[in-house]
Amino acid sequence: MKMASSVSKVKLLDGNKRLDGRGFKDLRDLKITAGVLKKAQGSAMVEWGRNKVIAGVYGPREVFPRHRTDPYRAIINCKYAMAPFSSLEEHGRAGPNRRAMEIGKVAKHVFENTVFTNLFPKTMIDISMEILQSDGGTRIAGITAASVAVVDAGIPVKDLVQGVSVGKVEGKLVVDLGKTEDNFGQSDVPAIVSLRSKEILLYQMDGMLTKDEIHESLDLIFEAAKVVRQKQADALKEKYERIEENVASEKPSGRSEQGEEEVM
Amino acid sequence: MIVDEVKEEYVKNLLKKGKRADGRGMMDYRPISVEKNYLQNAEGSAFASIGDSKVLAAVKFDLVEPFKDRPEEGVLMVNSEFTIMAHPEFESGPPNEKVIELARVVDRGIRSAEAIDVKKFFLEEGKAYGLFIDLWVLDHSGNLTDTAALAAMAALRCTKVPKYEDGKIIREEYKGPLELERDIVTSSFEKIDGKMVVDATDEEEIASDGRLTMASCGNDMLCAGQKSGRAGFTTDEIMGVIDIAFEKRKELMKFVK
Amino acid sequence: MEETKRILLPGDLVAEGPKRLDGCFVEKGNTYAAVVGILSGERVIPLKGFYVPRYDDYVIGIVKNVRFSGYEVEINSPYYGTLSSREMREEFKVGDVISAKIMSVNEVNDTELVEPRRLYGGEIIEIEHVKVPRVIGKNASMLAMISESTRAEVLIGKNGRIYLKGGDVALASLAIIKICREAHTSGLTERVKEFLEKETGTKIGAPAREREEGEAPENREVG
Repeated sequence: MKMASSVSKVKLLDGNKRLDGRGFKDLRDLKITAGVLKKAQGSAMVEWGRNKVIAGVYGPREVFPRHRTDPYRAIINCKYAMAPFSSLEEHGRAGPNRRAMEIGKVAKHVFENTVFTNLFPKTMIDISMEILQSDGGTRIAGITAASVAVVDAGIPVKDLVQGVSVGKVEGKLVVDLGKTEDNFGQSDVPAIVSLRSKEILLYQMDGMLTKDEIHESLDLIFEAAKVVRQKQADALKEKYERIEENVASEKPSGRSEQGEEEVM
Repeated sequence: MIVDEVKEEYVKNLLKKGKRADGRGMMDYRPISVEKNYLQNAEGSAFASIGDSKVLAAVKFDLVEPFKDRPEEGVLMVNSEFTIMAHPEFESGPPNEKVIELARVVDRGIRSAEAIDVKKFFLEEGKAYGLFIDLWVLDHSGNLTDTAALAAMAALRCTKVPKYEDGKIIREEYKGPLELERDIVTSSFEKIDGKMVVDATDEEEIASDGRLTMASCGNDMLCAGQKSGRAGFTTDEIMGVIDIAFEKRKELMKFVK
Repeated sequence: MEETKRILLPGDLVAEGPKRLDGCFVEKGNTYAAVVGILSGERVIPLKGFYVPRYDDYVIGIVKNVRFSGYEVEINSPYYGTLSSREMREEFKVGDVISAKIMSVNEVNDTELVEPRRLYGGEIIEIEHVKVPRVIGKNASMLAMISESTRAEVLIGKNGRIYLKGGDVALASLAIIKICREAHTSGLTERVKEFLEKETGTKIGAPAREREEGEAPENREVG
């Protein structure tokens, strides 16, 4: 929700510092864990500032209902849901609302781009993002988690995607808006990118920005995405490295294994 | 899912030999863990896991209008959702009968035990605190009832009541901890080919003919019960279950306090 | 001889120039990873994935539907296999566990099965199919070790489904789970050997010994 005037009710900047002490380009604390659920084929937990988001993936699997089957590629379902207890304020209502449906749709397009859907015709991939605690930037946190979950499921993708929101508060462009900045700032632009192809896969904007500000904000988004990608990469590798460490500490490593007869 | 039917055979064959697939005894729980204050936005919360089953319970206060027949009382509501990531067969949509049953059984345990005094939630004419408990199932490997009940009780035990000033709730400022009269825990048993096991896995649940859940609110007091599924239970079976439920209470209470 | 191993993530550059590698794709003339995998020397070994039917694979499936023309068989994949009645010498019913060979897969992954054989009395477990080569081991050495020490019959389908019967099925399962968890590490065969010897209290014959194809009928990789 944007305030129309550029004078916000809450003072959002103090010199070069934001409300929570961050610099304009600083991200909030971000922690990502891959493979947090047992039943889901792929899963991830993202704790971003106060946001707590969990994503789960099933598929490719048989299409249900049958009539939705695409003979040439996998169809992707993407669900975004905010738990009624996720807000600091009131207890919300469970069930889909229009905002959630819109976010589910634009998130789906991200995965339609990056997943090799043509390799799995006549199947369905279900991605679900559950916002357990919200504090601004939940759709970005959700898709960042979903991207890790899709990879954790072993579904082949063109890239590990991620994003950040950039916004304008009191005339200055800032990265990774918190809830208050989102509510009282002048503009909010959540975006998801692929660093490898340098493409923007999700882009939504509200508020008012000049052309130069939009250009600058895109640069800021790509820059911040690198930080997020590193965390995603660490999360995915950590699973395997932890096992290696445990194994190495049990016994000094013997000869390296060349036991694989064939691959996939 | 067809693979379930094959697993069901295997579960039953093992039980004939008095064994369970994961090597547990018939009356053993899987490893349990509870993390309180998992969330900061909620006034109380706990993340509980029993084996691989995981449930997040959250407690939120909100302003409500008291019910007409109880105009000077607050309101207690327990809801549940089986998120679609928790199991490949969970579908999107309004809660189905299993989801509702779980919420109502946990609700009944808390309400019958009079654990929470809702009269204390009355604020002023036409306004009271509603206490909303949400049971969010994130991973289903069986026995969601006991996992949810454990999460709920642990969440209540770390819940703080927010301040109320000038007709508004002041979030993140508290009157004090939620006062609780009693602690509730549940134990659920599945009857498979006539044999009883506690804390069933989802594979054991598929093989099951019926379930009996007992809730206790003291060392010799029961406050809720639910029998589900088509099997019948004899008096002896029910009394046996009650004995084990009290025994298990000691173990489970360690995670609530 | 230690080979350098590196964990790859989707989008990581694997090689300059177009290469045909498992779990990779080529874009603008360069090769990138599409899944999480290990780059071992020149090979890419995916660490996770799910089974897509391939010609000539032996699989373990479960009959899920009986049709007039034949059977639909669930093969631990988003795709199921069909078994035509003409191929059948015996009748199956829903829920039967069978081994079969994939006769054909078309471009939309419609799969036909042949040489069905009913398996009964055992247990099935599922593992990620990318780990199957590890469970089999070089010259089926890992598989032989499990069979010998647990005395279980172990049939492994390329689709990541394993049929276990007789002997200490629980121990065989545990050994298989251990192999899957530690599939990307070195020294695995030694550790599994020690694990099995410790659990059973008996020694196993040297795992590096070459085995003839078709030796020791209790342990078999299906295909």
